[in-house]
Amino acid sequence: MAQIATVWAVFQGLLLEALPFLLIGVAISSLARAFDPSGHWLQKLPKGALLGPLSGALLGFALPACECGNVPVARRLLAVGAPLGTAFGFLFAAPVLNPVVLLSTWAAFPDKPWLLLLRPAGSVVIALVLSGLLQLISESKLLNSELLAERRLSQPLAAVSLLERSTGLIGQPLAALTTDLKSSVQNKPAGLLSHGVNEFLELGSLLVLGCAVAALIQTLIPRDLFLALGQAPTLSVVSLMLLALVVSVCSSVDAFLALGFADQVTPGALLAFLLLGPVIDLKSVSLLGRVFTWRAMGLVLTGVSLTVLLMGQALNLLLL
Amino acid sequence: MKYLVLGFLGAVLLKCWLDQRLNLLLHSNFHSLVLIAGLVLLMIAIAGFCSAKVSNKATKIWPLIVLSLTAMGLWIWPPKPSLSTLAANRSGAQLGQSELSFLSPPEQRSLTDWVRLLNSQPDPILYGGDPVQVSGFVLDVPGKPPEIARLLVRCCLADATPVGLAVRWPKTKSSNGWPKPDQWLQIKGVMAVENHQGSLRSVLVAKQIKAIAAPTRPLEP
Repeated sequence: MAQIATVWAVFQGLLLEALPFLLIGVAISSLARAFDPSGHWLQKLPKGALLGPLSGALLGFALPACECGNVPVARRLLAVGAPLGTAFGFLFAAPVLNPVVLLSTWAAFPDKPWLLLLRPAGSVVIALVLSGLLQLISESKLLNSELLAERRLSQPLAAVSLLERSTGLIGQPLAALTTDLKSSVQNKPAGLLSHGVNEFLELGSLLVLGCAVAALIQTLIPRDLFLALGQAPTLSVVSLMLLALVVSVCSSVDAFLALGFADQVTPGALLAFLLLGPVIDLKSVSLLGRVFTWRAMGLVLTGVSLTVLLMGQALNLLLL
Repeated sequence: MKYLVLGFLGAVLLKCWLDQRLNLLLHSNFHSLVLIAGLVLLMIAIAGFCSAKVSNKATKIWPLIVLSLTAMGLWIWPPKPSLSTLAANRSGAQLGQSELSFLSPPEQRSLTDWVRLLNSQPDPILYGGDPVQVSGFVLDVPGKPPEIARLLVRCCLADATPVGLAVRWPKTKSSNGWPKPDQWLQIKGVMAVENHQGSLRSVLVAKQIKAIAAPTRPLEP
């Protein structure tokens, strides 16, 4: 009974902390829809294997939010036809590459300047790797079907056929379609509100499921299990990656949590904990399901795990 | 329907802020965010109801069900975690010397101050005979006498980590004389030195124990 009560309390803590950030993310997403409904400007964000993810990652400085708030914004970027690399760069690196997270990392580890350097650098590497990896598969197998349908509408006819769009009028120029879309949104703030509310409700319900799973596992599995392997070069990295998946705390405060066990683990494991959590954890995995197909989710998890493991290992080789 | 669910969720967030439960769940930095989110959700719900041109764009039913049930649960069942159960699953926080910015007189030190001090200057001889007055909850330690502890939180209850002091409890006639886990106590006593597994450590010798109500802010930053 005590355990059930504890799971319930941890669930409430996780959910109440994450909901405001989700709301911020949906608000930004709705504003983007209001001011650039056809995605004209967002489609002009830099493309390219290097420039795309980098520019997306740097957007974190303009929109500082943790991973829960980032998902709706990344969805909007993808929905309006922004380059995939830019959207993925924002999704995977912006939760670390923002002033709030960098300041909290510095505040928690003023005696570890290498961490302040390697955390953002590692996030950029992850964004580049995942972006490159995910673009190896076609958009239809990559993106969630609803998101894909919305993205198809925003893409130029040269890039996507009417059949793929499942809608459109033959003979009507794209400019006319996008102008219609723009005017429909601008003239109907109620429609904008309704869309934003739908998005918040859908993502919020997925967040509830993620928080429930995270609370259950956190309370039932002893944290010491993850820290027991603290000094083994490889296993410490793996175990801290698992801990990051389970703990599911916001990227803006995870450095303070890591401070509690930093002396018990290898430097590579510490870095791995701070890199993996902002990309994926039990709380956010359901939210990512609104962006990716399950196959792509598997690719994200595999890609980020291997990249983080390699980076953690490399750091251990250098510092141990 | 969706604005009803949204408004209800906003009201629940406001209730959580008003009924002080956030003190038990979140670091104080996040309390105002919950309040603002609750107010914004309520305003959006009201705007949705009032707008004559509300677009009833198809809403899926399952998010409404999941969020309604969650909001009802939050409204009806306030959190009553067993701090001892939560702490038992987590190793103690390592408090660094950098966190010890000010050293108050022994009798004015909180439990967390004591743990920080013992971590930064671990020589138990330094504190032998110092008067101690601390409050905290009883943390069950398997196979050992329970400790008096507090939980440190950086974000929310999910990252809470315990800090505890070893206590030498007064001898009682009953074999089960130790206090029950989760009970909140105020302990007056002195710091002593004892041999623990071949090395010296500080232990709080309890002279006066008083059961107290759980504090309004049970979590420490």
